[in-house]
Amino acid sequence: MFDFSVISQWLHTLLLSFLPEWATILVESVIVALVIITLYAVFAIVLIYMERKICGFFQCRLGPNRVGKWGLLQVFADVFKMLQKEIIKMRQTDRFLHDLAPFFVVTASMVTFACLPWNKGGHMIDFNIGIFFILAVSSVSVVGILLAGWGSNSKYPIIGAMRSGAQIISYELSIGLTMLTVICLTGTMQISEIVQQQSELGWNIFRGHLPMVIAFIIYLIAGNAECNRGPFDLPEAESELTAGYHTEYSGMHFGYFYLAEYLNLFISAGIATTVFLGGWAPLHISGLDGFNGVMDAVPGIVWFLGKTFFVVFLLMWERWTLPRLRIDNILTLEWKYLMPISMLNLVLMALLVAYGLYF
Amino acid sequence: MYKDKNYFEGLFCGVKSICIGLKTTMREFFTKKITEQYPENRKELKMFDRFRGSLVMPHNEKNEHKCVACGICQMQCPNDTINVVSEMVEVDGKKKKQLVRYEYNLGSCMFCMLCVTACPHKAITFDQSFENAVFDRSKLIKVLNKPGSKVEEKPVVKKTAPAPAAKPAETPAEAPKPEAVAPKTAEEQPRIEAVAAKTEVEQPKPEAVAAPKEETTKVEQPETEKAAE
Amino acid sequence: MNLVFQTIAPAELHQEMLRLRQEKKMDFLVLLTAEDLGEEGFGVVYQLESTETGEQVNIKSVCPNREQPTLPTVSDIWDIAHIYEREAYDFFGIIFTGHPDMRRIYLREDWVGFPLRKDDKPEEQNPLKMDNAPLSDDTTCYELQPDGTLTSHKNTIFEPEDYVVNMGPQHPSTHGVLHFRVALNGERIKRVDPVLGYIHRGIEKMNESMTYPQMLALTDRMDYLGAMQNRHALCKVIEEAMGVEVSDRVKVIRTIMDELQRIDSHILYFSCLCQDLGATTAFLYGFRDREKVLDIFEETCGGRLILNYNTIGGVMADIHPNFVKRVKEFIPVMRKGLKEYHDIFTGNVIAHNRMEGVGVLSKEQVIKMGCTGGTGRASGWHNDLRKLRPYDAYDRVEFKEITFTEGDSFARYMVRMLEIEESLKIIEQLIDNIPEGNYQEKMKPIIKVPEGTFYAAVEGSRGQFGVFLESKGDKSPYRVHYRSTGLPLVYAMDTACRGNLIADLVTIGGTFDYVVPDIDR
Repeated sequence: MFDFSVISQWLHTLLLSFLPEWATILVESVIVALVIITLYAVFAIVLIYMERKICGFFQCRLGPNRVGKWGLLQVFADVFKMLQKEIIKMRQTDRFLHDLAPFFVVTASMVTFACLPWNKGGHMIDFNIGIFFILAVSSVSVVGILLAGWGSNSKYPIIGAMRSGAQIISYELSIGLTMLTVICLTGTMQISEIVQQQSELGWNIFRGHLPMVIAFIIYLIAGNAECNRGPFDLPEAESELTAGYHTEYSGMHFGYFYLAEYLNLFISAGIATTVFLGGWAPLHISGLDGFNGVMDAVPGIVWFLGKTFFVVFLLMWERWTLPRLRIDNILTLEWKYLMPISMLNLVLMALLVAYGLYF
Repeated sequence: MYKDKNYFEGLFCGVKSICIGLKTTMREFFTKKITEQYPENRKELKMFDRFRGSLVMPHNEKNEHKCVACGICQMQCPNDTINVVSEMVEVDGKKKKQLVRYEYNLGSCMFCMLCVTACPHKAITFDQSFENAVFDRSKLIKVLNKPGSKVEEKPVVKKTAPAPAAKPAETPAEAPKPEAVAPKTAEEQPRIEAVAAKTEVEQPKPEAVAAPKEETTKVEQPETEKAAE
Repeated sequence: MNLVFQTIAPAELHQEMLRLRQEKKMDFLVLLTAEDLGEEGFGVVYQLESTETGEQVNIKSVCPNREQPTLPTVSDIWDIAHIYEREAYDFFGIIFTGHPDMRRIYLREDWVGFPLRKDDKPEEQNPLKMDNAPLSDDTTCYELQPDGTLTSHKNTIFEPEDYVVNMGPQHPSTHGVLHFRVALNGERIKRVDPVLGYIHRGIEKMNESMTYPQMLALTDRMDYLGAMQNRHALCKVIEEAMGVEVSDRVKVIRTIMDELQRIDSHILYFSCLCQDLGATTAFLYGFRDREKVLDIFEETCGGRLILNYNTIGGVMADIHPNFVKRVKEFIPVMRKGLKEYHDIFTGNVIAHNRMEGVGVLSKEQVIKMGCTGGTGRASGWHNDLRKLRPYDAYDRVEFKEITFTEGDSFARYMVRMLEIEESLKIIEQLIDNIPEGNYQEKMKPIIKVPEGTFYAAVEGSRGQFGVFLESKGDKSPYRVHYRSTGLPLVYAMDTACRGNLIADLVTIGGTFDYVVPDIDR
């Protein structure tokens, strides 16, 4: 399996050969930042196109098919349009908070994005408390949404923002509990470690069998709710609140919310891949050495992206099938179903680990 | 349904219902798509015969139409969409009304068919055009008679006394309003045969007319003759 | 149906109405029509019906004072009179004393004059205004003192501290240009105040200067999802007034067309409800199947939405040769589509949770508020005119009148879904034996309706659609009043929504199935 750290090590030594250490780290940071921003934009475009196509197919339509071959340039056209749009400044809004909000949302999702393990040795942020860090920074976006609702000084956005606050904070619990279940099995919070373990011992979802499958499903539901995507898109709820918390935004400020929404979808799928489906670890079936050899030949990044986009597809499938929940349904689902089940699940996992009943 | 169930029944039924929904959308994911590729399929795209696109006045090869400028259509129109401009000319010592300009405002037309059904000479009809968008509202006001066109000379027309200018709605020449597209050819056919020896009359759009029923033709025939007198 | 009146003086009106309500169980106010009687003053016709016995009584009351016409309100007896009396006030300036909310309903609050009075000159008094329309938070209630003078006091609609959210006039789920002012307490609804008239075109006023065939063209533009039925009702009232009997063929064609229109409307109902509840995919499935109905319409009628098909004494054109074939092809497709709708939406746990027990209306409430159609039937009110007073070919077909007793949003939804199946059954029974005959009776070139007052109603897609026609024997009507199917529904929104969540307003509005051009006319 190709180890990406070979390249990063080579780059590091190359830079050190003619730069002092502080400058090397500075240059490396700049490069990493540029890579994150570029990847962020690229994935946003891919995801928006994918969503529109898949949604079209579920709805008996073709989806975008006018701009470019199969509508491939549609998203570029949309982004170009959005960049040109005027950012409307309204009277009687809290201008500072109003303008600040989209950056909170976009920054939170960018930092989380940087935590994903792309390949063996290919991760940008890797702490020993990795998962904890992800949970912490991803919830910063709720601050952005609340600020957007408050700063707009308008009625629909404030309702949307309050809903979003209630929803994200509740679902954070389920996510935390499912993550605990995983940590219970892996014994580490470091993301690179978790994936490394899975590449050696098999994917967590197979290793931890029943409790892991339950945790995976709960994570998908809760992760979807965290990104405010349908059927949990209450903070936007276009048929009730027109556009919810970003009603009063225009131009690229709206664009940031839009980007963050799609990237959050990717990130939540990416985390699901990392902790349940083995991240960049290839599929191994014990005993079939030939098969495993072929699987190993496929680069890790392909594995990671393939699995992530599969999860993204699952989330889109569900988004385009189900009606939107109501605020009390959403809280009932969390507090009466997901939370108790994931708590029991955690206990079950702990028992399995204690008695060594896992693969 | 879900209200009466206990916790676990509700949970399982809920999950099952969601799975049925997911199955349905997945099946549709692979079925044939219904999107119409509009400007590309322009050739195959054919509107139904009875579709009302915009009002037209059919002209024959000799640039002749059937309008005698009686103004009944103008009277019938609920929206003042039609404006018939006519002048009095002297033909063989007799004063006769002649059409100068037949103005039709597509922008205010309600497509109610009252003008077409009321026309005693079947001079106007609706065509199947549907690409009627223009950039300027003034372009929606159309002149239906072509430049230099004149009224078709026909024995039938000569018999018809031109409607007096005043109160044309009260004249007996007004045909029964609720007349359908179907009998149009039925009564047009004999007329065409009468003139066909000398002139070639423009065929009424064959696809624009449904196959007429035998008995309805019989019913309508004397009626129109009465009206013509 | 020629209306026979019982005339009651304004002074005794309220007492007499109360007696009719209590002793003769006249619990359904079908329609309240105001008219300008010239020298005699203004008349108001109340059409009452008993839902138990089916007995009908028509009451007329005339207020002779043209300067300040007053009548006692009956809004305390029948809830729906609240909104009907506001309409009469808006157009004729009749002040209903004791009515708690005497505001204009369709026109701007700063409108001068009362446009349906025959001597009113709306254009002169109301130059085009470029300023915003005022929208007051309080309303006037008039009281008649024993000495004959009017006193007034203010009633508040919204308190200054209320959190009032405007749903509409441009809002994704108000299904058109409808405006609700919603007072919220957190997410709970305290009060809903519908603001109407954004697309009011004055069709009733326009009709007074049109000939009867010209009038027909406007009915398609009221309830655009019930164009067939609207026009059917108008043709029916004119035909009944003139004593014209249409052929059997026309009757069957009209029945089939009405049912196709009902299917069309109910599919759209399903689609829009799904869209309102966020199930966008189901929305498109509905539209996919509706396209087939529209194709059938287009082939025979030449239009998809504005069908322009019924005429006085028949239909515009005979059915297209392909009609029978297409309809027969459509029936199995629709049945398959229905199965899919049930799979993706009806059974869904989220849909159930959002609709069950939401916006419950009791049977008494729907009768009091005149909510006919599916909304009434969901609450257990047997109000299907196709069963109560069969017209055209409905007496020769078998079908069930779908009723529920729950009265919640889910019952309203199921009524529509099951009605699609009943409509398919009706069409199946008729499509193979459309009798031969004229598709159009011979009519005089100029249609004149004999003097009198007439009313005819059909079961529209969303309730009883009626036409009140007062003729003086001319070629144009003297007064036309349509019984809008949506107006009672919009009135009922306030009752149904109070105490529910803001998301339920969308659900309730979606299941009520009002169409705005029909309300505004």
